[in-house]
Amino acid sequence: MKRKIWLLVVLLGFLTVSRVAAQEELPGVWNAPKIKGIRFLPDATYQGNPFLNDVFTAGEINLMDGTKIVDVQLKYNNYRDELIYYNADITTQILVDKISVSSFSLADERGDKHFYIKQTVTGYMPGERYLEVLSEGDVVLLVHRKVLLLTCPVYGDPGKEKSMSYQEAFNYYLYNSRKGFELIKPGKNSLLSKLDNSDQQLLLRKILRKNDLKITDEVSFLKAWNLVKSNKMVIHY
Amino acid sequence: MLLVALSGKAQGKECFGLFTDRDLYTSGETILLKAFTPSSVQGGILTIDLFNAKGEMITTVPLQITDHQADGFINLNDTLSSGSYLLRVFSQTSVTQTVRELYILNRFTGVSENGPSFRPDGAVEGPDFVSTEISMAGIEKNYQRRGKGHLSIHLPASLVAQAEGPLCLYVAQTVPEYHAQTLVLNHKPKFTVNAGNEGIILSGTVTDPVTAKPFKNGVITLAVPDSIPRFNYYTTGANGRFYFQLKDYHGRISLVLQGYDALSNRPLKITLDRKENLLPALPPFRNGIFPPELRKMAAKNVEAFNFGRIFKQQQITVQMAPISRTDAYPFYGVPERVIYPKLFVDLNNFEEISRELLQGIKFRDNNHLPTFQILNAQRNSYFTEQPLVLLNGVPVRNMNDIKDLGSREIDRIETSQYERYFGNLRFSGVVAIYAPKFDYEGLKESDDLMKLTLDAVQPRAIFNPAPEDQAVEPDLRMLLLWKPSVNPEPTIGVDFQTSDMRGKFKVFIGGKRKDGKLFFNEQFFEVK
Repeated sequence: MKRKIWLLVVLLGFLTVSRVAAQEELPGVWNAPKIKGIRFLPDATYQGNPFLNDVFTAGEINLMDGTKIVDVQLKYNNYRDELIYYNADITTQILVDKISVSSFSLADERGDKHFYIKQTVTGYMPGERYLEVLSEGDVVLLVHRKVLLLTCPVYGDPGKEKSMSYQEAFNYYLYNSRKGFELIKPGKNSLLSKLDNSDQQLLLRKILRKNDLKITDEVSFLKAWNLVKSNKMVIHY
Repeated sequence: MLLVALSGKAQGKECFGLFTDRDLYTSGETILLKAFTPSSVQGGILTIDLFNAKGEMITTVPLQITDHQADGFINLNDTLSSGSYLLRVFSQTSVTQTVRELYILNRFTGVSENGPSFRPDGAVEGPDFVSTEISMAGIEKNYQRRGKGHLSIHLPASLVAQAEGPLCLYVAQTVPEYHAQTLVLNHKPKFTVNAGNEGIILSGTVTDPVTAKPFKNGVITLAVPDSIPRFNYYTTGANGRFYFQLKDYHGRISLVLQGYDALSNRPLKITLDRKENLLPALPPFRNGIFPPELRKMAAKNVEAFNFGRIFKQQQITVQMAPISRTDAYPFYGVPERVIYPKLFVDLNNFEEISRELLQGIKFRDNNHLPTFQILNAQRNSYFTEQPLVLLNGVPVRNMNDIKDLGSREIDRIETSQYERYFGNLRFSGVVAIYAPKFDYEGLKESDDLMKLTLDAVQPRAIFNPAPEDQAVEPDLRMLLLWKPSVNPEPTIGVDFQTSDMRGKFKVFIGGKRKDGKLFFNEQFFEVK
C-alpha cells in the first residue's frame, strides 16, 4: 500500500512539473522602455561647470507617454538645458529627446534629490524648459538653473580656455495652472509683495524675526517659503 | 484528484464568466459578448476565440479588461457552415478558460434536413452560479409586436454592495429548445503570472539560417507602418527567444518583423509562435438530433436576417480608438528636415532626388549596388555606416527596394543627420520615406522578413436602439436591448421596444460578485 502511495505522489509531482514547464518565464527586462536621443558631444572646456552634477548619478525619467524609467544614470546640463543619460550597455552618453520627457529626477554629488519638470515658459525667453521644482502646492516654486557662458578675466585653471566662464543666472518662477508663470526674485521684499494683505506681511516679518531668518540666498528663501506655506498664508501673483 | 487533473476539469477554481446576447445566430450576424474575469486577472487583455466543432479557429478577438470585465463583438463571416461552434475566453496568464457553445446557421443553406447535430458532451462542468434574490417587476407575459416594454429590476442591497463592477443587461430572442452549455476547463497559461497582461504578447524564436540553432544577440525589429510609424526591437538571449508586447494598439494592424545579427548585419531566420499550437483540448462532441421546433425557428431567423440585409440595418456602431500621445512623434525623433519632392520638378528615381533635393545625403546606384551616405551634422563628416532607411515606417535593408521611387510616388522624406539612439540601437542618421502609393505588400517575405496582419485590442461597440421612425421598413431585430455595463443599483429601469419578430424573448441580468462568484437572473416573455 505504501508503495502505491509513493507511486501516486511521484506521478502527481511529475504532472505538476510538466504543467509548470509548459509556462514560459519571460526575461526580467523583456519589455524595458526605450530612451530616444542623439549622441552627446561635450562642449569645449571653459572655466566653471555647466552641469548640475560632475558625474552621472542615478535618477528616474518620466516620459510623456506615462512610462517611468528608473535607475538610469543621468546628468543635467544647466547651460544647454539638456538631460544626458549614460547607456552602460553600449557605453554611450546620449542626449535624451526633450520632446519625449515629462519630468525627471536625479541626485547631486551631496545626495540631494532634484526633481525637474518640463514646462513651456511664456513671456521673456519663451520655450520648453526643464524647471526644478523647489516647492509643490497650489502655487509651485520653480527654478530654471540657467548658466551663462560669459567672457571673464584670463586667470583660471591651467590648460582650460580662460577667456570664458560659466556663470549662474538662475531664474525663479511662481507657477499656478490658472495663472501661468511669474518671475520672482529670491528676496524678502519680493516674497512679502506676494502676500495677501499688510496683516499677512506683518505676520511674515514677525515669523522671520522669530526664526532669525534672513533671506540672502536660495536656501534661506526656500525656508521662508516653507514658513509661508506652514502658516497657511495665501500667495497672490 | 488524479482523475480531475487528467480530465481537464477546473474544479474549485475561480473562472471566467462568458455571456452572449443569444445562442442561435445566422452567418453574417454579429455576436455580442460580455466576459467577467477571475480576480487573479488584473486588467490587461483577454482573448475570445471562436472555434468550429472540428477545433479549427475561426476568429480571435482581444478585449481590454476594465473592472474585471470586458465586452466586445464578433462579426460572423457569411460563409460559415451550419453547426455547433465554441467560444473560448482566457487570458495570457489565467489558469482556467471558459468555453461557451452556440449554434450558427449558414444564411444560404440554413439547417440541412438530415444533417446531424453535434453538441459538446456535458461531461465537463460549467461555472458555478450563486442564487440571488434579483426580482423583475412589471414584466408582462405577452407583448405586441412593435410594443413598448418597461420593467424594473430590483437588486438586494447585499448584492449591490457585493457586485464587482457593472452588470450585463440585455433583452433578446431566446430558443427554449436550445440550451447552450458553458464549460470550464483548465488552461495552461503561455506565460507566468508575473509577465503581466498589459497587451498581446507576440513571441517567437530566431535561429541561425546556417546551423538552425537559436541565435544569441540577434536583433528582431517590429515595425507598424503608418503616417507616424511605430517601432520596437528585441535583442535575443541564448535561447533565441523574442517577445513584443503590443500595447495601445486597436483594430486590425499590419506588422513587419525583421531579424538580423547586430554584429555582422546578416539576416536571421524568424519563427513566430503560432497560436494554433496553443489550441485547447476541446470538449468531446456527441451526435444529437436537431429538434423540429428549433429547426422551424432557425429557418425563420435565417429568412428574417436575409430580408433585413436589404435594409442594411446596423445594430452596433464601432467607436474609433482614441489617438494615443505616444504617437506624437516618430521613434527616430523629430526630423531636422522634411522634403516634399512633389513641390519640385519631376525626378525619376531616388538617386536624382538625393542629388537635387537631399542636402548632405548621397544615394548612388553604382553597378546595381545602391549605397547611402549621410553627413553627420554633429561632426561634419560622413557616417561610415548606412543610415536607417524607412519606407512607410518599415526598415529597408535592400536599397534596390527604393531606388526606383521617383518624386511622383513620394509624399515626403524626413531626414535626421544625427547619430540617433533608440534604446541600445544606434542609427547613423535616418531617412524616412513616405510613399502612400507604395504597396508595402510588395516587400518580399523571406526567412528574415515576416509580414503579419493581426487583430489588436478591439475598439468599443455601441448598441444602436430601435429607430424611432421605422414605419416603412420591417423591424427584424432579435436583440431588443444590449447594455453590457450597467451600474449595480437597487432598482434598474429597463425600457425596450419589441420588433416585428414573434417568439420567445428573455430579459437577462448577470454579473460577478467580489468573491468571484457569478450570478444571473432571467425572465421570459412572448411577442405575439
